[in-house]
Amino acid sequence: MAQFIERSNIRLQQTADNWEDAIRQSGLLLLQNHSIDFEYINEMVKAVKTLGPYMVIVPHVALGHARPGKHVKKNDISLLTLKKPINFGSEHNDPVNVVFSFCAEGNEGHLQVLKKLGLLLDDAHIMQIIQESSDLDQIDRLVNEEMDK
Amino acid sequence: MKRLKILTVCGFGVGSSLVLKMKLDELLKEEGIDAHVETADVGSASSTPCDVIFTSKELSEKLINSVQVPVISVSNFIDKNEIKEAGLEKLHELIKE
Repeated sequence: MAQFIERSNIRLQQTADNWEDAIRQSGLLLLQNHSIDFEYINEMVKAVKTLGPYMVIVPHVALGHARPGKHVKKNDISLLTLKKPINFGSEHNDPVNVVFSFCAEGNEGHLQVLKKLGLLLDDAHIMQIIQESSDLDQIDRLVNEEMDK
Repeated sequence: MKRLKILTVCGFGVGSSLVLKMKLDELLKEEGIDAHVETADVGSASSTPCDVIFTSKELSEKLINSVQVPVISVSNFIDKNEIKEAGLEKLHELIKE
């Protein structure tokens, strides 16, 4: 895999009004990268509204996504971190200051990306840097180079 | 010993359920439990045959009334210890059945 998270898909220490704003901002990164159409972002928001904040899968980290297929042009993932954490309504994992959003064309193609994400989430040291850093070069290097070692 | 079929469930069966499956696979290997883990979305989980379901707290509340099998809820999908504490005992029980 060339890159895990494209540099242009990374935005650090942003400001979001609420969870929906955070999901929309992270979805916009996928839209700008021509990976989804706009409706996919609405679907991501709808998913949280109908299914609850289950996307906050580990403390302080949300994994935004919607159904594969229809609104997806290519597999992709984005990373948004927030200056001020926001609540999703997750009983155990709020507040959130890291939002990964991904989109998948089918049910299989994004497995490698999610495997990497699993490793990343499991690494407390890397996750702390991601939460705190405002240095794009550092995060780009960390997720796209050092993780491959 | 019976081979268990485990379902990990999330909203669409492609994101968090996959992350949970990865951790569960690791745990099963460590514990020497023979099981097959599949992912499913919350809508199709109740019609997918399995022995036990692992999912989030939020989704477990939705599932618990629509499925016949035990539903184990986990709040941190990457925390193997939590998954172990929440589900290991049940898995050992199910194997013996």
